Amino acid sequence: MRRTTVLTAAIIATAMLATAAETTRWVERTKVDIRAGRGSFYEIVDTVLKGEQVEILKTEDKWASVRTPRAKTGWVYEAALAAQPVQPGRSDFLKMAPGDASTSRTAASQGAKGVYAQGYAKEKGYDYSIVEWIESHQPTGAQIETFLADSGEAAGDRK
Amino acid sequence: MSRARFALIGLGLGIVLVGCQNVGIGSSGGPVGLPGLFGSMTQLATGGGRSVEVDEPEEIELGRAVTTSVGSRYKLLRDESLTRYVALVGNAVAVQSERPDLRYYFAVLDTDEVNAFAAPGGYVFITRGTLAVMRDEATLAGVLGHEVGHIALHHYNATIKKEKETALKRGFLTTVGHIGLGFVPGPGGAAASVFGSPALNLIADGIATVDLRGFSRDEEEEADRVGFRYAARAGYDPAGLRDFLKAVQDAGKQPAKSGFFTKFVSTHPGSADRLKEQETQLRTAPAGGRRAAARFQQAIAAQPTTR
Repeated sequence: MRRTTVLTAAIIATAMLATAAETTRWVERTKVDIRAGRGSFYEIVDTVLKGEQVEILKTEDKWASVRTPRAKTGWVYEAALAAQPVQPGRSDFLKMAPGDASTSRTAASQGAKGVYAQGYAKEKGYDYSIVEWIESHQPTGAQIETFLADSGEAAGDRK
Repeated sequence: MSRARFALIGLGLGIVLVGCQNVGIGSSGGPVGLPGLFGSMTQLATGGGRSVEVDEPEEIELGRAVTTSVGSRYKLLRDESLTRYVALVGNAVAVQSERPDLRYYFAVLDTDEVNAFAAPGGYVFITRGTLAVMRDEATLAGVLGHEVGHIALHHYNATIKKEKETALKRGFLTTVGHIGLGFVPGPGGAAASVFGSPALNLIADGIATVDLRGFSRDEEEEADRVGFRYAARAGYDPAGLRDFLKAVQDAGKQPAKSGFFTKFVSTHPGSADRLKEQETQLRTAPAGGRRAAARFQQAIAAQPTTR
C-alpha cells in the first residue's frame, strides 16, 4: 500500500514537473508588452523584461495567454518567448530614457517615449507634435475589433 | 514577380514607400539572414566583427524621428475620421503580417502627390492623392499591405546597420551599437536633460536622405508578395494592389494628371513589371474577397480628388 502511494506521488510529481516545463517560457526580447487581447492595439496590462518567466495558460493562433510574475494575465506573441531560460538583459538604449526603462517595467512599457526623436526634431527644427497627433489618433482595440468583424460589404460588393 | 518599385517617396526620408522609395533602407546591402525571421531584435554583423543590433524600442524611436522629417516635407492631414478609417484598414492587414505584435500607426498626408511609404517601427503614411486614385477598400488594403510588408520584413535594417557602422567610426556608439550609448546624460545623469543623440540623429538622417534610391527589386517584390497575402488573409480581394498599379499607370498617361505621378513614375520604372507579377499571382489566388467600395467611398467622401 505504502509502495503504491509513493509510486503514485512520484508519478504525480513527475507529471507536475513536466507540465511546468511545458508551460513556462522566458522573455527573449528587451521588453515585451502583455496586452489585454490578441493584438498590438489592445491595452497594455503589464510589461515583462528579458529573462523574466511567464506561465502559458493557453495559446491561440501564435498568441499566448500568459500569467506574469506580477500575477497579471494577458496576451503576448509567442515569438517573443523562449522555451529555455534566457539571461536577463538590460537595454542601454532604454536606460537613457527617463525613469531608466531598462529596469523599470512601467517606464519600459513606454519605451523611450520619444525622448530621442524629440531631440532629433529639436536639432532639425522639425515639429514633433506630428508624432503625438498621429499616435493619439489611432483607433482603439475595441474599434479595430468591431471593424474586423464587419465586412463592410454592400450588396454585390464582392469580386 | 515584379521587382519593380512601387513606392515612391519623395520624401527622402527613407522610408519605404509604397512605392517605396527610399528609405534607404534596403539600399546598402541586405541584412544577414532572411528578412522576417529576425524577431524584434536583429543582430547584424559589422565589418569589424562587432555586433550591431536593431532593437525594437530603437526602431520605434527612429520611426518617430523619421516621422518628424516627413512632417517637414508634407503637411499632415489632421482629419480624425479619415485617419481612423485608414488605420482600421491598415490594422486589418497588419494583423496578418509577420509582426502582428508591433503597434502600427497610420497617417494621411495632405498633398495631391501620389505617394505612400513607411518608416521603421510601424509608421505608415499615405497621401490624399493616393486615396483619390483608389475606388475601394481592397485597393487601400493592398497598398497598405505593401507598406506594412516593408516594416514586417525589416527592409530598413540595412540602412540602420550602415548608419550605425558610421556612428561607430565616429565614436557615437560603443561596441554594443545601441543608439542610446551615443547619448550624453545631463548633470548627474539626469535623464530628463537628455536631448539629442548623435547616433540616432545620424541614423535618422541616413534613412531620410538616402532618398530616391528605393528598396531593392527583391525587397519590392517581397513587399508586393506579402502585401497581396495580407490583404487576402484579411478577407479582401487581393487584386487591390494590382488595381492600384493599373490606376497609377492609367492616370499617369493623362496630361492633366501626369504631374502628380511624375515622381512615382520616375522612381519606379518597374511598375509595369510589378503589374505583370500581380496578374500572375492573381491567376493562382482563390476567387472572392471583398472590395468594400461603399465603405471606402463614404470614408473619403469629404476628401477632394486629384485635380
